Amino acid sequence: MTNLNDTLNVTREPPKWRSYSKPYWDATREKKLLLQYDPKTNRYQFYPRPNSLATGRRTLEWREVSGKGEVFSFTVARRAREPFRGHEPFLIALVTLDEGVNVMGNVVNCSLEEMKIGLRVKPYWAPLSNGTHLLMFTPDR
Amino acid sequence: MALRDAAIVGYAETKIVEKEDRDIWEMGADILDQLLARTGFEKQNIDGLVMSASMTGAGNPFWSQTTADQLGLELDFCQIVDLGGCSSTAALARACMAIDAGMCTTVLCLYADAQSSDNNRRPRGFEGEWTGPLGYLGPPAAFGLLSKRYEHQFGLDYAMLGKLAVAQRGHAVINDLACEKLRKPITVDDYLNSRMIADPIRLLDSVMVCDGASGLIVTSAKNAKARGISKYVVPLGYGERTMHRVSENITEVTETGHLVAGKRAFAQSGLAPKDIGSYHPYDDFIIAIMLQLEMLGFCKPGQGCDFIREHDFTHTGDLPLNTGGGQISAGQAGLAGGGTNLIEGVRQLFGEGGKRQVKSTKSALVTGIGGIPYGRNWSTSVVMIIAPNG
Repeated sequence: MTNLNDTLNVTREPPKWRSYSKPYWDATREKKLLLQYDPKTNRYQFYPRPNSLATGRRTLEWREVSGKGEVFSFTVARRAREPFRGHEPFLIALVTLDEGVNVMGNVVNCSLEEMKIGLRVKPYWAPLSNGTHLLMFTPDR
Repeated sequence: MALRDAAIVGYAETKIVEKEDRDIWEMGADILDQLLARTGFEKQNIDGLVMSASMTGAGNPFWSQTTADQLGLELDFCQIVDLGGCSSTAALARACMAIDAGMCTTVLCLYADAQSSDNNRRPRGFEGEWTGPLGYLGPPAAFGLLSKRYEHQFGLDYAMLGKLAVAQRGHAVINDLACEKLRKPITVDDYLNSRMIADPIRLLDSVMVCDGASGLIVTSAKNAKARGISKYVVPLGYGERTMHRVSENITEVTETGHLVAGKRAFAQSGLAPKDIGSYHPYDDFIIAIMLQLEMLGFCKPGQGCDFIREHDFTHTGDLPLNTGGGQISAGQAGLAGGGTNLIEGVRQLFGEGGKRQVKSTKSALVTGIGGIPYGRNWSTSVVMIIAPNG
């Protein structure tokens, strides 16, 4: 078994949000995942943008989603900058949520042997010092 | 057509080094000095300046203007192109446009960056919110995700990527301007056994950040002829694509904007991949060279490894690849690094490759890759096809 770090002991600075991404971060206080949704094209989008990627208009709504999905691709970080230095190796996955958007996150409680493209995952919320949470993933066994 | 009316009359390059002691403007002055000496142009003949992006300089929002002041250039056209690694080739395209539009007659394209000694980068993008908190190491992680996906879709024979790495390294060994630290031959086994950075990206897949400068003088073909310049290089076709398919939520990371940019460049030039004499793709990671072969139509998507197996990429081979070593084996001069690929293509067409001169100087293909977006491949793709005059 390859020993992978779950990075939960890394002290992360809470990210600085933008005016249009604040609702996302606010919702993570309650471990809720909000995605932007464009009702004109019935499409979700991620990461949060100031307008619709499909139409360029500002007709976006926020909708809560499950955060479940499957691994689209992944990498094992063997080298990292502070504050992750010394915590390698750890997983970073690009996950296709069931709503049809790709989201990146660290993966916890998962061995390299278990990790594969297509693996079903669910959210794992890591607390940040300002009361918000960082979206991670864990295998949906 | 506008592009064909332009003439690249000279090129210049500094040695690529780690942690240059000299100021970036001194490197820029070296380029101007070399270009004036080579072309016989006077400084007063230069009325346009187009610069590449620069980690050292472009955090200064007056980068091209202050450079004109430092170098004493009196200009009718002055700008920076901020398309990351595409900047150098995109700057050449914009120089041709400005000349064709009558805004100026002779342009200095100047590419200078000292990222390894003087990095003033101030990014404002998605990173702080969406990738920084993941311990995501920028480009290596992005190319790790891309490579895993490619392997899942098509299978990936890493020894074939190693073959490209070995060919480029062989070219750096015979390029006096390549970074000295990298001028040692490698084998496919060295490539395969080099340490992992972000699986499956290895150390020998990756560029090493360095300092360096390069540049071109571009004028109208009419002006070149009037000055009695008998030999120059002509841009035949150019394509550029930024944020390919960004309006779609999910894109297959193995399809890049070079698909669109390449079609446009080939159509303008009237050439096909089989007509290309030497191939100078932007190389931040080895797999990018293969993906571009697929996107540009040298082979079909997913068949890159087979294509690599069947061809010889050394300077004496049937498709010479980055004959100066590329950025991976000559060193990456920061955001001026695209100039390394471009200048080598121009040099080959002038027939001045020396020990690494290619046989076919009928055309060369140069590309750029600029910027790494979230969960996709790269932000800008450019393709330029060049040929000698006459």
